[in-house]
Amino acid sequence: MSINPTDKVQVKVITGNAAAAIAVTLCRPDVIAAYPITPQSEIIERLSEFHSQGIVDAEMINVEGENSAMNAVTAASIAGGRVFTASSSWGLAFMYDAVLAAAGTRAPVVMVNVNREPPGIMAVSSGQQDMISTRDAGWIYLVAEDSQEILDMVIMAYRLAEDYEIQLPVMVHYDGFYLSFMAERVEIPTERSVDDYLSVLKEQPQRPTLIPGKPLGVVTHGLLEGYIELRHKHCTALERAKQKFDSITVDFNQQFDRSYAGQVETYRSDDADVVLVGCGSMCGTIKSVIDQKRKEGIKIGLVRLRMYRPFPAEKLTEVLKGKKVIGVVDRSLCFGFKGGPIYTEIRSLYPELGGARMLSFIDGLANMDITTAHIEQIIDTCLSASNGASCNDVTWVCYEG
Amino acid sequence: MSRVSYYESEGPWSNYEKRLLCMDTGSWRTQRPIVDEEKCIYCGNCALYCPVQIMVDMKTYFSPNLDFCKGCGVCARECPKKAITMEPEDKFK
Repeated sequence: MSINPTDKVQVKVITGNAAAAIAVTLCRPDVIAAYPITPQSEIIERLSEFHSQGIVDAEMINVEGENSAMNAVTAASIAGGRVFTASSSWGLAFMYDAVLAAAGTRAPVVMVNVNREPPGIMAVSSGQQDMISTRDAGWIYLVAEDSQEILDMVIMAYRLAEDYEIQLPVMVHYDGFYLSFMAERVEIPTERSVDDYLSVLKEQPQRPTLIPGKPLGVVTHGLLEGYIELRHKHCTALERAKQKFDSITVDFNQQFDRSYAGQVETYRSDDADVVLVGCGSMCGTIKSVIDQKRKEGIKIGLVRLRMYRPFPAEKLTEVLKGKKVIGVVDRSLCFGFKGGPIYTEIRSLYPELGGARMLSFIDGLANMDITTAHIEQIIDTCLSASNGASCNDVTWVCYEG
Repeated sequence: MSRVSYYESEGPWSNYEKRLLCMDTGSWRTQRPIVDEEKCIYCGNCALYCPVQIMVDMKTYFSPNLDFCKGCGVCARECPKKAITMEPEDKFK
């Protein structure tokens, strides 16, 4: 049995969660351990179904909670396996120590996190705060915009995580409820093409693996200079991951006939004075509003983060330098720091960007739709700022209007 | 400043054939497990429960590896024959 037994690309109308499950299946994982949580459950249901049909030849571990799931896949990864887990929000919070451990042990775990508002206020709804709350865990964070990109990004995640020069866990994020449950057209590549794409990893040196009878010291020591050495290596590997992601994206585009940008996608921003920055599903809406505004002769553009950690500072500098106004739309908050999380990070590039006016827009919390009307309002604010009008640095779009 | 390197590899892994890097947990110990080899029935409970897995299989009884034993006393607590007693570490100085 196979997910795509034909020699041709299959086109299906499927949800983002189904796209993730199919992508994992195509990558032939050895061990899958996960615990269901809304809006991620469908991924696990689909994988269980594929497993029962013999399509996924992996060890499926039914764990009693997310913490165990992450520890199980980290251990399996250190033992040399290709692994997968998925979670969201409360589940991600519950596995927090294990998330840190996966990064610290340099285990190339691939995980999907379906973005949902985290614990604090009971909200079974979309929002990127769970991603933000774990951004300093030392993982590579990728953010998908649509179902096709979810499928493609999971495949790229394995190539990136297991690369001998990287050896870091990768989390693929996408907006819960919007992308997780929305069905749209997705191209499912052939098994052979995915095997081809991942075959590069087999030619690389083997990473240290834990084999019975051959003890391996794993996180058994990290005192003083040893600790600093490991952290330095970790940060250096994260820096390497930026270029690596660009190059594996080029390979991916060739193999699967796509046109993805690497760390950062630009949309009609080259000649624009006013540029919006965002990530995830909101970017589809932003793009359609930009097309409309362009018809009216207004030069605006979008810069979309496909990679959030490591933060693509150099690429962002390249594409945002010299812009007059940069409006950053965050679907999350930065508690105790004025402005959204991505906004504050873009602001750290202020000297490199040559003094652009930067505005923060907080929108789309708890499943509040980021509508075309909201984007138009955000663009109007940015345009008036570019004409010298005074406006607030931070606007909560749904709340302050 | 010169950099000290502990790890040949990228991550916190060390190879037992070359140099196994471990924390010196033995220095944390304030009490030491003493095994009565006569009372020991070789059931292996102590080895199973030991959180740092330092009980060494001596084929007829188990004996702690004191380089890594933290002295937590779980082995003594779990021993069904009370063959393990915890003695203050000061006695052995």
